[in-house]
Amino acid sequence: MSDLFDLPFEDAEPPAEEPVATRRIFTVTELTVRVRDILEERFFEVWVEGELSGVRLWNTGHLYFTLKDSSSVLKGLMFRSALRYLKFKPVDGLRVVARGKISVYEPKGEYQLVCEHLEPQGLGALQLAFDQLKQRLQAEGLFDAAKKRPLPALPRKIGVVTSLDGAAIRDILKVLRRRYRNVHVVIRPTRVQGEGAAAEIAAGLRQIANVPHVDVVIVGRGGGSMEDLWAFNEETVARAISISPVPVISAVGHESDVTIADLVADLRAPTPSAAAELVVARKEEFSSRIDRLHERLVSSALGRVQRLSRRVHELSGRRALAGYTTRLAMTQRRTDELTRAMTDALRGVFTLRARRLQAIDRRLDASDLGRRLARNRTTLVTVDAQLRQTVTALTHRARARLGELAGRLDTLSPLAVLARGYAVCWNDDRTRAIRDAADVRTGDTVHVTLSRGAIAAKVSGIE
Amino acid sequence: MSKPSPPASTDSTIRDFEAAIAELESIVKKLEDGDLSLEQSLGLYERGVTLSKFCHARLEDAERRIELLSDRGDLRPAPAGLTGDEPER
Repeated sequence: MSDLFDLPFEDAEPPAEEPVATRRIFTVTELTVRVRDILEERFFEVWVEGELSGVRLWNTGHLYFTLKDSSSVLKGLMFRSALRYLKFKPVDGLRVVARGKISVYEPKGEYQLVCEHLEPQGLGALQLAFDQLKQRLQAEGLFDAAKKRPLPALPRKIGVVTSLDGAAIRDILKVLRRRYRNVHVVIRPTRVQGEGAAAEIAAGLRQIANVPHVDVVIVGRGGGSMEDLWAFNEETVARAISISPVPVISAVGHESDVTIADLVADLRAPTPSAAAELVVARKEEFSSRIDRLHERLVSSALGRVQRLSRRVHELSGRRALAGYTTRLAMTQRRTDELTRAMTDALRGVFTLRARRLQAIDRRLDASDLGRRLARNRTTLVTVDAQLRQTVTALTHRARARLGELAGRLDTLSPLAVLARGYAVCWNDDRTRAIRDAADVRTGDTVHVTLSRGAIAAKVSGIE
Repeated sequence: MSKPSPPASTDSTIRDFEAAIAELESIVKKLEDGDLSLEQSLGLYERGVTLSKFCHARLEDAERRIELLSDRGDLRPAPAGLTGDEPER
Protein backbone atom coordinates (compact mmCIF):
# COMPACT_ATOMS: atom_id res chain seq x y z
CA MET A 1 0.00 0.00 0.00
CA SER A 2 1.46 3.34 -1.02
CA ASP A 3 0.84 6.39 1.01
CA LEU A 4 0.90 9.98 -0.11
CA PHE A 5 4.55 10.56 0.65
CA ASP A 6 5.99 7.65 -1.16
CA LEU A 7 8.35 8.37 -4.02
CA PRO A 8 6.77 7.89 -7.41
CA PHE A 9 7.34 4.70 -9.37
CA GLU A 10 8.04 2.61 -6.36
CA ASP A 11 6.93 -0.88 -7.03
CA ALA A 12 3.80 -1.83 -5.22
CA GLU A 13 2.53 -5.35 -4.73
CA PRO A 14 1.35 -6.79 -8.02
CA PRO A 15 -2.44 -6.97 -8.09
CA ALA A 16 -3.90 -10.40 -7.91
CA GLU A 17 -5.27 -11.66 -11.19
CA GLU A 18 -8.75 -13.04 -10.90
CA PRO A 19 -11.42 -14.12 -13.33
CA VAL A 20 -13.84 -11.31 -14.18
CA ALA A 21 -16.87 -13.53 -13.69
CA THR A 22 -17.99 -11.72 -10.62
CA ARG A 23 -17.94 -8.00 -9.96
CA ARG A 24 -14.32 -7.11 -9.39
CA ILE A 25 -13.78 -4.13 -7.19
CA PHE A 26 -10.33 -2.56 -7.22
CA THR A 27 -8.96 -0.27 -4.65
CA VAL A 28 -7.80 3.07 -6.13
CA THR A 29 -4.27 2.00 -5.69
CA GLU A 30 -4.80 -1.33 -7.33
CA LEU A 31 -6.33 0.33 -10.33
CA THR A 32 -3.72 3.00 -10.52
CA VAL A 33 -1.00 0.41 -10.40
CA ARG A 34 -2.64 -1.50 -13.25
CA VAL A 35 -2.92 1.61 -15.34
CA ARG A 36 0.70 2.36 -14.58
CA ASP A 37 1.82 -1.10 -15.62
CA ILE A 38 -0.07 -0.91 -18.87
CA LEU A 39 1.25 2.53 -19.71
CA GLU A 40 4.80 1.70 -18.79
CA GLU A 41 4.75 -1.43 -20.88
CA ARG A 42 3.02 0.18 -23.85
CA PHE A 43 5.07 3.40 -23.84
CA PHE A 44 8.40 2.04 -22.71
CA GLU A 45 10.38 4.22 -25.06
CA VAL A 46 8.71 7.09 -26.90
CA TRP A 47 9.88 10.20 -28.67
CA VAL A 48 7.73 13.25 -28.31
CA GLU A 49 8.12 16.80 -29.47
CA GLY A 50 6.70 19.94 -27.94
CA GLU A 51 7.40 23.24 -26.31
CA LEU A 52 8.85 23.41 -22.82
CA SER A 53 7.00 25.37 -20.18
CA GLY A 54 6.90 25.54 -16.42
CA VAL A 55 10.50 24.35 -16.27
CA ARG A 56 11.59 24.04 -12.68
CA LEU A 57 14.70 22.56 -11.15
CA TRP A 58 14.02 21.16 -7.72
CA ASN A 59 16.60 21.19 -5.00
CA THR A 60 16.73 17.41 -5.25
CA GLY A 61 18.36 18.04 -8.62
CA HIS A 62 15.44 16.69 -10.63
CA LEU A 63 13.87 18.76 -13.36
CA TYR A 64 10.10 19.18 -13.71
CA PHE A 65 8.44 20.59 -16.79
CA THR A 66 5.44 20.52 -19.07
CA LEU A 67 5.55 19.73 -22.75
CA LYS A 68 2.80 21.29 -24.77
CA ASP A 69 1.55 21.83 -28.25
CA SER A 70 -1.46 23.83 -29.48
CA SER A 71 -4.06 21.67 -27.78
CA SER A 72 -2.49 19.31 -25.24
CA VAL A 73 -0.04 19.23 -22.39
CA LEU A 74 2.13 16.45 -21.04
CA LYS A 75 3.79 16.59 -17.67
CA GLY A 76 7.38 15.49 -17.56
CA LEU A 77 10.34 15.09 -15.30
CA MET A 78 13.97 14.33 -15.74
CA PHE A 79 16.02 12.80 -12.99
CA ARG A 80 19.30 14.33 -11.94
CA SER A 81 21.19 11.29 -13.24
CA ALA A 82 19.94 11.93 -16.79
CA LEU A 83 20.08 15.71 -16.50
CA ARG A 84 23.83 15.54 -15.93
CA TYR A 85 24.44 14.71 -19.57
CA LEU A 86 22.61 17.74 -20.93
CA LYS A 87 24.99 20.35 -22.33
CA PHE A 88 22.36 23.04 -22.73
CA LYS A 89 19.97 24.42 -20.19
CA PRO A 90 16.26 23.60 -20.75
CA VAL A 91 14.25 26.81 -20.55
CA ASP A 92 10.62 27.79 -21.07
CA GLY A 93 9.63 28.30 -24.67
CA LEU A 94 12.30 26.02 -26.05
CA ARG A 95 11.06 23.54 -28.65
CA VAL A 96 12.45 20.14 -27.82
CA VAL A 97 12.35 16.48 -28.70
CA ALA A 98 12.23 14.27 -25.65
CA ARG A 99 12.83 10.56 -25.26
CA GLY A 100 11.56 8.58 -22.30
CA LYS A 101 8.80 6.40 -20.94
CA ILE A 102 5.34 7.19 -19.75
CA SER A 103 4.70 6.49 -16.12
CA VAL A 104 2.11 7.31 -13.49
CA TYR A 105 2.49 9.33 -10.36
CA GLU A 106 0.14 7.45 -8.13
CA PRO A 107 -0.43 9.97 -5.34
CA LYS A 108 -1.89 12.36 -7.90
CA GLY A 109 -3.18 9.95 -10.47
CA GLU A 110 -1.23 11.72 -13.15
CA TYR A 111 0.61 10.20 -15.99
CA GLN A 112 3.87 11.82 -17.02
CA LEU A 113 6.89 11.47 -19.21
CA VAL A 114 10.00 10.29 -17.43
CA CYS A 115 12.52 11.84 -19.70
CA GLU A 116 15.85 10.17 -20.43
CA HIS A 117 17.11 12.50 -23.09
CA LEU A 118 16.24 15.94 -24.33
CA GLU A 119 17.43 17.76 -27.37
CA PRO A 120 16.57 21.15 -28.80
CA GLN A 121 14.75 21.19 -32.09
CA GLY A 122 16.34 23.03 -34.97
CA LEU A 123 19.69 24.00 -33.50
CA GLY A 124 21.99 21.26 -32.33
CA ALA A 125 22.28 20.78 -28.60
CA LEU A 126 25.90 21.95 -28.65
CA GLN A 127 25.11 25.08 -30.60
CA LEU A 128 22.35 25.87 -28.16
CA ALA A 129 24.61 25.27 -25.20
CA PHE A 130 27.19 27.54 -26.81
CA ASP A 131 24.66 30.31 -27.36
CA GLN A 132 23.33 30.04 -23.84
CA LEU A 133 26.73 30.17 -22.16
CA LYS A 134 27.87 32.95 -24.44
CA GLN A 135 24.85 35.01 -23.56
CA ARG A 136 25.29 34.43 -19.86
CA LEU A 137 29.00 35.22 -19.73
CA GLN A 138 28.51 38.24 -21.94
CA ALA A 139 25.94 39.58 -19.52
CA GLU A 140 28.45 39.08 -16.73
CA GLY A 141 30.98 41.14 -18.66
CA LEU A 142 33.52 38.38 -19.19
CA PHE A 143 34.08 39.37 -22.82
CA ASP A 144 34.38 43.11 -22.18
CA ALA A 145 37.11 44.83 -24.14
CA ALA A 146 38.06 46.69 -20.97
CA LYS A 147 38.92 43.36 -19.36
CA LYS A 148 41.47 42.47 -22.03
CA ARG A 149 44.98 42.87 -20.71
CA PRO A 150 47.94 43.83 -22.86
CA LEU A 151 50.53 41.13 -23.45
CA PRO A 152 54.00 41.59 -21.97
CA ALA A 153 56.52 42.73 -24.59
CA LEU A 154 59.13 40.25 -23.50
CA PRO A 155 57.69 37.42 -21.40
CA ARG A 156 60.26 35.82 -19.14
CA LYS A 157 58.54 32.44 -19.49
CA ILE A 158 55.71 31.46 -21.81
CA GLY A 159 53.15 29.01 -20.47
CA VAL A 160 51.35 26.62 -22.80
CA VAL A 161 48.34 24.54 -21.81
CA THR A 162 47.58 21.91 -24.43
CA SER A 163 48.00 18.27 -25.36
CA LEU A 164 51.45 16.86 -26.11
CA ASP A 165 50.00 14.62 -28.79
CA GLY A 166 48.54 17.16 -31.16
CA ALA A 167 50.17 19.26 -33.85
CA ALA A 168 49.44 22.40 -31.84
CA ILE A 169 52.37 22.10 -29.43
CA ARG A 170 54.83 21.29 -32.22
CA ASP A 171 53.63 24.25 -34.26
CA ILE A 172 53.97 26.59 -31.31
CA LEU A 173 57.48 25.40 -30.43
CA LYS A 174 58.62 25.53 -34.04
CA VAL A 175 57.50 29.13 -34.49
CA LEU A 176 58.97 30.23 -31.16
CA ARG A 177 62.27 28.59 -32.00
CA ARG A 178 62.46 30.52 -35.25
CA ARG A 179 61.54 33.88 -33.79
CA TYR A 180 63.23 33.94 -30.44
CA ARG A 181 65.61 31.11 -29.96
CA ASN A 182 66.45 31.42 -26.28
CA VAL A 183 62.85 31.46 -25.17
CA HIS A 184 61.76 29.68 -22.00
CA VAL A 185 58.55 27.65 -22.36
CA VAL A 186 56.62 25.81 -19.66
CA ILE A 187 54.08 23.32 -20.97
CA ARG A 188 51.24 21.94 -18.88
CA PRO A 189 50.08 18.84 -20.76
CA THR A 190 46.33 18.20 -20.61
CA ARG A 191 43.79 16.27 -22.58
CA VAL A 192 41.99 18.63 -24.94
CA GLN A 193 38.90 16.60 -25.77
CA GLY A 194 36.57 14.09 -24.20
CA GLU A 195 34.97 13.81 -20.80
CA GLY A 196 37.01 15.62 -18.15
CA ALA A 197 39.20 17.54 -20.59
CA ALA A 198 37.67 20.88 -19.64
CA ALA A 199 38.39 20.31 -15.95
CA GLU A 200 42.00 19.42 -16.77
CA ILE A 201 42.47 22.50 -18.91
CA ALA A 202 40.99 24.73 -16.23
CA ALA A 203 43.22 23.17 -13.56
CA GLY A 204 46.22 23.53 -15.87
CA LEU A 205 45.51 27.20 -16.42
CA ARG A 206 45.29 27.84 -12.70
CA GLN A 207 48.47 25.90 -12.03
CA ILE A 208 50.70 27.27 -14.77
CA ALA A 209 50.07 30.89 -13.88
CA ASN A 210 51.62 30.15 -10.51
CA VAL A 211 54.94 29.05 -11.96
CA PRO A 212 57.28 31.98 -11.20
CA HIS A 213 57.96 34.26 -14.19
CA VAL A 214 55.30 32.78 -16.44
CA ASP A 215 54.12 36.12 -17.81
CA VAL A 216 51.66 34.91 -20.43
CA VAL A 217 49.81 31.67 -21.23
CA ILE A 218 48.72 30.13 -24.52
CA VAL A 219 45.82 27.69 -24.26
CA GLY A 220 44.49 25.75 -27.21
CA ARG A 221 44.54 22.82 -29.58
CA GLY A 222 44.48 22.03 -33.27
CA GLY A 223 41.39 21.87 -35.45
CA GLY A 224 38.51 19.43 -35.08
CA SER A 225 34.75 19.10 -35.06
CA MET A 226 32.59 21.14 -32.73
CA GLU A 227 32.47 18.10 -30.41
CA ASP A 228 36.27 17.86 -30.47
CA LEU A 229 36.65 21.51 -29.54
CA TRP A 230 33.91 21.32 -26.96
CA ALA A 231 36.12 21.55 -23.87
CA PHE A 232 36.94 25.11 -24.91
CA ASN A 233 33.23 25.95 -24.76
CA GLU A 234 32.83 24.81 -21.19
CA GLU A 235 32.18 27.28 -18.46
CA THR A 236 34.95 25.97 -16.22
CA VAL A 237 37.58 26.81 -18.87
CA ALA A 238 36.03 30.21 -19.48
CA ARG A 239 36.16 30.97 -15.75
CA ALA A 240 39.75 29.82 -15.41
CA ILE A 241 40.80 32.09 -18.28
CA SER A 242 38.85 34.97 -16.86
CA ILE A 243 40.50 34.82 -13.44
CA SER A 244 44.00 34.02 -14.70
CA PRO A 245 46.51 36.38 -13.06
CA VAL A 246 48.48 36.62 -16.33
CA PRO A 247 47.19 37.38 -19.83
CA VAL A 248 45.87 34.39 -21.78
CA ILE A 249 46.06 33.86 -25.53
CA SER A 250 43.54 31.36 -26.89
CA ALA A 251 44.39 29.33 -29.97
CA VAL A 252 41.66 26.83 -30.70
CA GLY A 253 41.30 25.03 -34.01
CA HIS A 254 41.27 27.01 -37.19
CA GLU A 255 40.52 30.59 -38.09
CA SER A 256 36.80 29.87 -38.44
CA ASP A 257 36.29 28.16 -35.07
CA VAL A 258 35.32 30.62 -32.40
CA THR A 259 34.94 29.15 -28.93
CA ILE A 260 33.88 30.62 -25.62
CA ALA A 261 37.54 30.43 -24.58
CA ASP A 262 38.40 32.70 -27.52
CA LEU A 263 35.84 35.25 -26.37
CA VAL A 264 37.10 35.34 -22.80
CA ALA A 265 40.82 35.29 -23.61
CA ASP A 266 42.82 38.50 -23.55
CA LEU A 267 43.82 37.80 -27.13
CA ARG A 268 42.44 35.34 -29.64
CA ALA A 269 44.91 33.78 -32.04
CA PRO A 270 43.35 32.15 -35.10
CA THR A 271 45.69 29.13 -34.85
CA PRO A 272 48.33 27.77 -32.46
CA SER A 273 51.12 28.92 -34.82
CA ALA A 274 49.66 32.41 -34.86
CA ALA A 275 49.60 32.40 -31.06
CA ALA A 276 53.34 31.75 -31.04
CA GLU A 277 53.84 34.69 -33.40
CA LEU A 278 51.74 36.97 -31.23
CA VAL A 279 53.32 36.02 -27.95
CA VAL A 280 56.77 37.44 -28.60
CA ALA A 281 58.28 39.67 -31.26
CA ARG A 282 61.29 38.56 -33.22
CA LYS A 283 64.41 38.96 -31.16
CA GLU A 284 66.04 41.04 -33.88
CA GLU A 285 63.18 43.52 -33.63
CA PHE A 286 63.97 44.05 -29.96
CA SER A 287 67.70 44.38 -30.58
CA SER A 288 67.39 46.93 -33.33
CA ARG A 289 64.86 48.95 -31.37
CA ILE A 290 67.18 49.20 -28.39
CA ASP A 291 70.15 49.98 -30.62
CA ARG A 292 68.29 52.81 -32.30
CA LEU A 293 67.34 54.24 -28.92
CA HIS A 294 70.89 53.97 -27.67
CA GLU A 295 72.23 55.78 -30.70
CA ARG A 296 69.72 58.56 -30.30
CA LEU A 297 70.61 58.74 -26.61
CA VAL A 298 74.31 59.20 -27.28
CA SER A 299 73.96 61.64 -30.13
CA SER A 300 71.37 63.78 -28.36
CA ALA A 301 73.47 63.92 -25.19
CA LEU A 302 76.53 64.78 -27.24
CA GLY A 303 74.64 67.54 -29.03
CA ARG A 304 73.45 68.88 -25.73
CA VAL A 305 76.99 69.10 -24.33
CA GLN A 306 78.22 70.76 -27.48
CA ARG A 307 75.51 73.38 -27.38
CA LEU A 308 76.29 74.10 -23.76
CA SER A 309 80.01 74.43 -24.32
CA ARG A 310 79.31 76.83 -27.15
CA ARG A 311 77.27 78.95 -24.82
CA VAL A 312 79.91 78.97 -22.06
CA HIS A 313 82.29 80.11 -24.66
CA GLU A 314 80.16 82.95 -25.95
CA LEU A 315 79.56 84.19 -22.44
CA SER A 316 83.22 84.20 -21.48
CA GLY A 317 84.09 86.10 -24.65
CA ARG A 318 81.88 88.93 -23.57
CA ARG A 319 83.37 89.44 -20.16
CA ALA A 320 86.53 90.94 -18.84
CA LEU A 321 89.43 88.60 -19.07
CA ALA A 322 90.60 88.34 -15.49
CA GLY A 323 89.60 85.12 -13.77
CA TYR A 324 87.66 83.73 -16.65
CA THR A 325 90.40 82.01 -18.51
CA THR A 326 90.86 79.51 -15.69
CA ARG A 327 87.17 78.79 -15.51
CA LEU A 328 86.91 78.50 -19.19
CA ALA A 329 89.87 76.16 -19.24
CA MET A 330 88.12 74.03 -16.65
CA THR A 331 84.90 74.01 -18.59
CA GLN A 332 86.81 73.11 -21.64
CA ARG A 333 88.38 70.22 -19.82
CA ARG A 334 84.97 69.11 -18.69
CA THR A 335 83.51 69.23 -22.19
CA ASP A 336 86.60 67.50 -23.42
CA GLU A 337 86.06 64.67 -20.97
CA LEU A 338 82.40 64.47 -21.76
CA THR A 339 82.97 64.45 -25.45
CA ARG A 340 85.45 61.65 -25.02
CA ALA A 341 83.03 59.75 -22.82
CA MET A 342 80.30 60.12 -25.40
CA THR A 343 82.53 59.04 -28.20
CA ASP A 344 83.59 56.04 -26.15
CA ALA A 345 79.99 55.26 -25.45
CA LEU A 346 79.14 55.40 -29.10
CA ARG A 347 82.06 53.15 -29.86
CA GLY A 348 80.62 50.90 -27.17
CA VAL A 349 77.33 50.72 -29.05
CA PHE A 350 79.24 49.86 -32.11
CA THR A 351 81.26 47.13 -30.40
CA LEU A 352 78.15 45.71 -28.81
CA ARG A 353 76.37 45.63 -32.09
CA ALA A 354 79.33 44.21 -33.91
CA ARG A 355 79.50 41.45 -31.32
CA ARG A 356 75.86 40.72 -31.78
CA LEU A 357 76.22 40.75 -35.51
CA GLN A 358 78.97 38.22 -35.12
CA ALA A 359 76.73 36.11 -32.97
CA ILE A 360 73.98 36.27 -35.57
CA ASP A 361 76.53 35.49 -38.18
CA ARG A 362 77.60 32.41 -36.28
CA ARG A 363 74.03 31.30 -35.92
CA LEU A 364 73.42 31.79 -39.59
CA ASP A 365 76.52 29.77 -40.24
CA ALA A 366 75.24 27.01 -38.04
CA SER A 367 71.92 26.72 -39.78
CA ASP A 368 72.52 26.07 -43.40
CA LEU A 369 70.47 28.79 -44.97
CA GLY A 370 72.23 29.04 -48.30
CA ARG A 371 71.39 32.18 -50.17
CA ARG A 372 69.75 33.86 -47.24
CA LEU A 373 73.04 33.63 -45.43
CA ALA A 374 74.83 35.42 -48.23
CA ARG A 375 72.21 38.12 -48.33
CA ASN A 376 72.41 38.62 -44.58
CA ARG A 377 76.16 38.87 -44.75
CA THR A 378 75.91 41.66 -47.30
CA THR A 379 73.56 43.48 -44.97
CA LEU A 380 75.93 42.96 -42.10
CA VAL A 381 78.83 44.41 -44.03
CA THR A 382 76.75 47.42 -45.00
CA VAL A 383 75.55 47.99 -41.46
CA ASP A 384 79.09 47.58 -40.23
CA ALA A 385 80.37 50.19 -42.66
CA GLN A 386 77.54 52.55 -41.77
CA LEU A 387 78.33 52.20 -38.12
CA ARG A 388 81.99 52.89 -38.65
CA GLN A 389 81.08 55.95 -40.64
CA THR A 390 78.76 57.22 -37.95
CA VAL A 391 81.35 56.75 -35.27
CA THR A 392 84.03 58.45 -37.35
CA ALA A 393 81.78 61.36 -38.19
CA LEU A 394 80.82 61.85 -34.59
CA THR A 395 84.43 61.68 -33.43
CA HIS A 396 85.41 64.23 -36.06
CA ARG A 397 82.69 66.56 -35.08
CA ALA A 398 83.74 66.33 -31.44
CA ARG A 399 87.37 67.01 -32.33
CA ALA A 400 86.50 69.99 -34.48
CA ARG A 401 84.49 71.40 -31.62
CA LEU A 402 87.43 70.97 -29.26
CA GLY A 403 89.82 72.58 -31.72
CA GLU A 404 87.58 75.56 -31.99
CA LEU A 405 87.39 75.83 -28.24
CA ALA A 406 91.16 75.68 -27.91
CA GLY A 407 91.54 78.42 -30.54
CA ARG A 408 89.16 80.63 -28.72
CA LEU A 409 91.02 80.06 -25.52
CA ASP A 410 94.16 81.52 -27.12
CA THR A 411 92.38 84.65 -28.17
CA LEU A 412 91.16 85.06 -24.69
CA SER A 413 94.73 85.41 -23.37
CA PRO A 414 95.76 88.85 -22.13
CA LEU A 415 96.92 89.65 -25.65
CA ALA A 416 93.29 90.16 -26.51
CA VAL A 417 93.64 93.58 -24.99
CA LEU A 418 95.42 94.47 -28.21
CA ALA A 419 92.08 94.31 -29.90
CA ARG A 420 91.23 97.55 -28.26
CA GLY A 421 93.99 99.26 -30.29
CA TYR A 422 96.97 98.80 -28.02
CA ALA A 423 100.18 97.31 -29.32
CA VAL A 424 103.08 95.63 -27.59
CA CYS A 425 106.59 96.57 -28.52
CA TRP A 426 109.30 93.92 -28.03
CA ASN A 427 113.07 94.10 -28.14
CA ASP A 428 114.88 92.50 -31.06
CA ASP A 429 115.05 88.99 -29.63
CA ARG A 430 111.57 89.31 -28.19
CA THR A 431 112.69 88.57 -24.68
CA ARG A 432 111.03 91.52 -23.06
CA ALA A 433 108.51 94.20 -23.79
CA ILE A 434 109.87 97.69 -24.07
CA ARG A 435 108.45 99.95 -21.41
CA ASP A 436 111.01 102.79 -21.48
CA ALA A 437 112.23 104.79 -24.52
CA ALA A 438 115.68 104.80 -22.94
CA ASP A 439 115.91 101.08 -23.52
CA VAL A 440 116.35 101.49 -27.27
CA ARG A 441 118.67 103.38 -29.49
CA THR A 442 118.14 104.83 -32.95
CA GLY A 443 118.68 102.09 -35.53
CA ASP A 444 117.56 99.22 -33.23
CA THR A 445 115.10 96.72 -34.60
CA VAL A 446 111.94 96.24 -32.55
CA HIS A 447 108.88 94.06 -32.98
CA VAL A 448 105.41 95.32 -32.54
CA THR A 449 102.61 92.89 -31.81
CA LEU A 450 99.21 94.13 -32.94
CA SER A 451 95.76 92.80 -32.49
CA ARG A 452 96.16 91.05 -35.83
CA GLY A 453 99.70 90.14 -36.81
CA ALA A 454 102.98 91.75 -35.89
CA ILE A 455 105.46 94.05 -37.58
CA ALA A 456 109.22 94.52 -37.39
CA ALA A 457 110.30 98.19 -37.20
CA LYS A 458 113.45 100.25 -37.05
CA VAL A 459 113.76 103.01 -34.45
CA SER A 460 114.21 106.19 -36.46
CA GLY A 461 114.59 108.48 -33.50
CA ILE A 462 113.92 108.81 -29.81
CA GLU A 463 111.50 111.48 -28.71
CA MET B 1 65.86 34.08 -12.27
CA SER B 2 66.61 30.42 -12.30
CA LYS B 3 70.27 31.00 -13.09
CA PRO B 4 72.77 33.70 -12.15
CA SER B 5 72.28 36.70 -14.41
CA PRO B 6 74.61 39.43 -15.43
CA PRO B 7 74.34 42.40 -13.05
CA ALA B 8 72.87 44.68 -15.74
CA SER B 9 69.71 42.63 -15.87
CA THR B 10 69.10 42.71 -12.13
CA ASP B 11 69.25 46.45 -11.56
CA SER B 12 66.78 46.98 -8.76
CA THR B 13 65.75 50.41 -10.03
CA ILE B 14 64.36 48.86 -13.21
CA ARG B 15 61.06 47.08 -12.91
CA ASP B 16 61.07 45.08 -16.14
CA PHE B 17 61.90 45.12 -19.79
CA GLU B 18 58.84 47.13 -20.77
CA ALA B 19 59.43 49.73 -18.10
CA ALA B 20 63.07 49.99 -19.19
CA ILE B 21 62.20 50.52 -22.86
CA ALA B 22 59.53 53.06 -21.97
CA GLU B 23 61.90 54.98 -19.71
CA LEU B 24 64.66 54.90 -22.30
CA GLU B 25 62.28 56.28 -24.89
CA SER B 26 61.22 59.13 -22.65
CA ILE B 27 64.84 59.95 -21.80
CA VAL B 28 65.84 60.12 -25.46
CA LYS B 29 62.84 62.30 -26.17
CA LYS B 30 63.71 64.66 -23.30
CA LEU B 31 67.30 64.91 -24.42
CA GLU B 32 66.25 65.50 -27.99
CA ASP B 33 63.83 68.30 -27.39
CA GLY B 34 64.22 69.44 -23.80
CA ASP B 35 66.17 72.48 -22.74
CA LEU B 36 67.99 70.85 -19.86
CA SER B 37 70.92 71.84 -17.74
CA LEU B 38 74.21 70.09 -18.26
CA GLU B 39 73.79 68.20 -15.00
CA GLN B 40 70.30 67.02 -15.95
CA SER B 41 71.46 65.99 -19.39
CA LEU B 42 74.29 63.97 -17.97
CA GLY B 43 72.10 62.36 -15.35
CA LEU B 44 69.63 61.32 -18.02
CA TYR B 45 72.37 60.12 -20.28
CA GLU B 46 73.85 57.88 -17.63
CA ARG B 47 70.45 56.50 -16.74
CA GLY B 48 69.80 55.86 -20.43
CA VAL B 49 73.00 53.88 -20.80
CA THR B 50 72.06 51.74 -17.79
CA LEU B 51 68.62 51.09 -19.26
CA SER B 52 69.91 50.15 -22.65
CA LYS B 53 72.42 47.74 -21.11
CA PHE B 54 69.64 46.23 -19.03
CA CYS B 55 67.49 45.66 -22.12
CA HIS B 56 70.25 44.00 -24.05
CA ALA B 57 71.10 41.82 -21.10
CA ARG B 58 67.46 40.76 -20.80
CA LEU B 59 67.39 39.68 -24.44
CA GLU B 60 70.25 37.31 -23.82
CA ASP B 61 69.16 36.39 -20.32
CA ALA B 62 67.43 33.09 -20.84
CA GLU B 63 68.65 29.92 -22.39
CA ARG B 64 66.25 28.09 -24.63
CA ARG B 65 64.38 25.83 -22.25
CA ILE B 66 61.27 23.76 -22.75
CA GLU B 67 59.83 22.30 -19.57
CA LEU B 68 56.84 20.17 -18.69
CA LEU B 69 54.73 20.99 -15.66
CA SER B 70 53.13 17.93 -14.09
CA ASP B 71 49.77 18.03 -12.34
CA ARG B 72 51.69 17.76 -9.07
CA GLY B 73 53.52 20.95 -9.97
CA ASP B 74 57.01 19.54 -10.76
CA LEU B 75 58.97 20.82 -13.71
CA ARG B 76 61.11 18.58 -15.88
CA PRO B 77 62.73 19.10 -19.29
CA ALA B 78 60.57 18.21 -22.27
CA PRO B 79 61.74 15.27 -24.40
CA ALA B 80 63.90 16.26 -27.39
CA GLY B 81 61.38 14.70 -29.76
CA LEU B 82 58.86 17.33 -28.75
CA THR B 83 61.07 20.40 -28.76
CA GLY B 84 62.35 19.78 -32.29
CA ASP B 85 65.90 20.40 -31.07
CA GLU B 86 67.27 17.21 -32.51
CA PRO B 87 69.04 17.57 -35.87
CA GLU B 88 66.69 18.22 -38.77
CA ARG B 89 66.07 15.27 -41.00
